[in-house]
Order: sequence, then C-alpha cells, then structure tokens
Amino acid sequence: MTDHIVRSYDAELEALRRSLAEMGGMSERMLGDSTVALVRRDTTLAQKVISADQRLDNLQRDVEERAVLTIARRQPLAQDLRELISAIRLASDIERVGDLAKNIAKRAVAISGQFQPPHRAVVGLEHMSRLVQAQLKDVLDAYAASNEQKAMEVWHRDGEIDALYTSLFRELLTYMMEDPRNITFCTHLLFCAKNIERIGDHTTNIAETIHYLVTGESLDLNRPKLDTTDISVEAVTGN
Amino acid sequence: MLSTLELSPQTLDADAPVRIAVKNLDFYYGEHKALKNINLDFRDRHVTALIGPSGCGKSTLLRIFNRIYSLYPEQRATGEILLDGRNVISSDIDVNELRSRVGMVFQKPTPFPMSIYDNVAFGIRLYEKPPKSELDDRVEAALRRSALWDEVKDKLKSSGMGLSGGQQQRLCIARTIAQRPEVILFDEPTSALDPISTGKIEDLLEQLKTDFTIVIVTHNMQQAARISQYTAFMYLGEVIEFAPTNTIFMNPNKKQTQDYVTGRFG
Repeated sequence: MTDHIVRSYDAELEALRRSLAEMGGMSERMLGDSTVALVRRDTTLAQKVISADQRLDNLQRDVEERAVLTIARRQPLAQDLRELISAIRLASDIERVGDLAKNIAKRAVAISGQFQPPHRAVVGLEHMSRLVQAQLKDVLDAYAASNEQKAMEVWHRDGEIDALYTSLFRELLTYMMEDPRNITFCTHLLFCAKNIERIGDHTTNIAETIHYLVTGESLDLNRPKLDTTDISVEAVTGN
Repeated sequence: MLSTLELSPQTLDADAPVRIAVKNLDFYYGEHKALKNINLDFRDRHVTALIGPSGCGKSTLLRIFNRIYSLYPEQRATGEILLDGRNVISSDIDVNELRSRVGMVFQKPTPFPMSIYDNVAFGIRLYEKPPKSELDDRVEAALRRSALWDEVKDKLKSSGMGLSGGQQQRLCIARTIAQRPEVILFDEPTSALDPISTGKIEDLLEQLKTDFTIVIVTHNMQQAARISQYTAFMYLGEVIEFAPTNTIFMNPNKKQTQDYVTGRFG
C-alpha cells in the first residue's frame, strides 16, 4: 500500500501492528505453556503463565488507547479506519485468549495435589490444545500478511475443534462415572477443555475481523457448529 | 452489514428521481479540456458531494450547472446537463430563469452592501414583484429556514456586512433559498468558517435536503462523509468513482479513491 502523505501516520499504524504481533506471540506461548503445565503438573510453569497475563492486559489497553487516539487525530477513512477498528477487536480477542490460558494455568496449580486419574485422561486435551495452537498461529500469520483466504481456512477448521471437544467431554464423563475419585480432577479438565474450545472461537473471531479488514464487508455466514455437548450429556448419562 | 446499518443523515432513497442528469459532458477553458466525458446523476432531495484534489474540475462542474461560465467567451461546454429534461447548456435556455432555479453559495460569504432584509429581498425582487406583506413573509421564512432569524430579527435594517462570517454565509443561503430554487450548489461553503459556524451550516444542509437537491464541493472529507448521500471522486477532469457516500468512504472500489480518501495521494 502507498504511504500516507503524513509520514507519522504510517509510523502510528506500524507501531500498532508491532504491538499486536507481540500480543499474538504472547497468547500463543501462554496457551502452549499452560497446556504443558497441566499435562506435566508443572506449577512453576503455570505460575509463569499467570504472571504473564498482566503484561498482555497492559498491552491490550495500550493498543486500544493508541488506536482511539489515532482515530481522534487522523480521522481515518476506508482501509485505515478498518485497520484501526480491527486492531481494537483483535487486541480484545487476544486478551481473552490470554485470560483463558491463565485460567488453565490456575487449574493446573489447583489439581497438582489431587488424586491422579490415569494419564490417558489428559492426552485428548493435549491433542486438542495442539490443534488450537496451530489455529491461533495460522490466524495471527494471516493477520500479519493480510491473507483473507488463510483466515477463512482457519474459520472453517473450527468445526473440528468443536467435534473434538464433544468427544473429550464424553470421555471425561466416562472417567467420572468409572471412579468418583476422578470427579474433581476431571471437572477441572472439563473446564480446561472448554477454555481451549473458546480460544478456538476467538481464533474464528479474529478470522472474521481479517475478512472485514481485507474486504470491507462483515462475514454473515453461519459457522459450522459441531459442539453437541448439550445433547451428549443426555446420551452419556441416559437422562 | 454496512448496507443495512445506514446512519440517519446517510439514508438514501435509491428510487429517488434524478433531478440533474449529466451526460457526456466535456468542458474547455480555451484549448484546455478541463472536464472529460462526465456522466453523473444527481438525485432529487439528496446531497451529492464532489471531492477531489485542487484542479480536478469539481468547481468547474458546479459552475456549469448554473451557466456562470457563460460570462467568459473562451469557455465552452459540450454534451448535456438535463434539469427536468431540458439541457441547461443549450443556447436557447433563459440563463436568468435557470439561475433562479439553480442557486449557488460560494466559499467566501458574499453579502451585498445593503441591509440584512434587502440582502434576502434582493433575490426575490430579481424575478418577482410581490406585495410588501408577502415580501416580508418570504424574507422571514427564508431567514428562519437558514437558521438566522433569531439572531437578526431585531436588526433587519442593519447592514449584512456587519454580521460574522458564519452569519454572512447563512444570510447568503437565505438569499438563495428566498428565490425558491430547486437545486442549490455549494462551493466549499464552510472552508472560511470556524467549527461552530461550520456545524450550523452542516445542520442547515441536512434541513435543506428535505426541499432541495444539493450539490456540494468540499475539501473536507469528513464533511462529505457526514452530510452527503452520494459522493463523486474526481481527478484530472474525470469522475473516477461515483457511489453512495458510505461506499466511497468505507470501502471504495477504485484504488485511486482509496488513496485519496485515506490521505495517500501523490
């Protein structure tokens, strides 16, 4: 894209893009670390994730303030206005990803002293987290490259995550019914799985923002929903 | 979706009749071709903004609508500008009658060196000889319509030159609408005014839109975005893009338009 006549305007937009890239990188790391902390019961790593969240919150506020200031100062239009609105939306989605990762880390600390069910209980969760990490990475790359097509691929893939969450949900319910001592641990895992599923939803939000940023139009398609846990509860418990 | 999320001033009626149709219009300053094959439809009771860098031809286009250019023998236009089906650039048009139907407000306020009352009455007296009581009524109505009445009702006999810049501009608008035109042309009407006066004129334009077809040339992109329903972006004598204002300012089709509205031109 051609440069602005006022060069400091370009510098402001560039600085925003850099902050968002930093936020994106942090959120990816937080999700990865919180999952490792959960699987390995590593409370030190979990604490690291918990304290990293503050920095992410600060960055989000900073991005928001600077975007609003740029809107006030430059009265942006067209592509520029979309870029600033998108920056605000993106920062808010990434900040939520950080919150959810932090919640996983907190649960990793909470269950560290609990009765341990068989290791296979966390394998499904680890797999799901890896998929979502890949989604998050792809969507952030799509943003950095303004690649709408890549963003839409992420958007369409979210159905797989929902499906995986459904099967994980059933699996965890089964463990709980097998042995009531598993209930506390598996309940925490259920919440962690839900957190990861919601991080997946935030990646689709980001994909939608990229679609708007590049095309100027809001996406008004319905995303394929494969989370059917509301039905599974009945299937598993027989109620 | 943007298309359904129209802000109130931006509401446009796509079925509104075309008040002015410009067809294959070329314009020459002597040898220099200043406008090249312009085709534009201006819709009834809508505000259409003309934007573009200096020298792109937007003021030239405005000056053709009411034949101001006819004052200069070396300037000529070819093609058609149809106002209610009649070509205003054809030689058999009564230019005085045309100017009573197509009023114009300029960048610098141009009050005449006479009283406020006479400034407004002047426009009416040019074309009609109404009785005094009717003239009084029409002067008051025009001043009310231009949101100036409350500020001048006690000093109608004092000079129009004594008003502030913003008031003078509204006086000029009153003088124009007193003639009951169909179309009002505004050539950068607020570029010499402070923000408060600008706000008053913009508010006024929104009111006037209910009765008049308005064409406005402005260098202020946000102003065009605020007050118009359609926008034409012109460059080097051509219309690059003509579309609903929301499209031009949020998601233009042409790269040149995008570069201009985002301040990247050059």
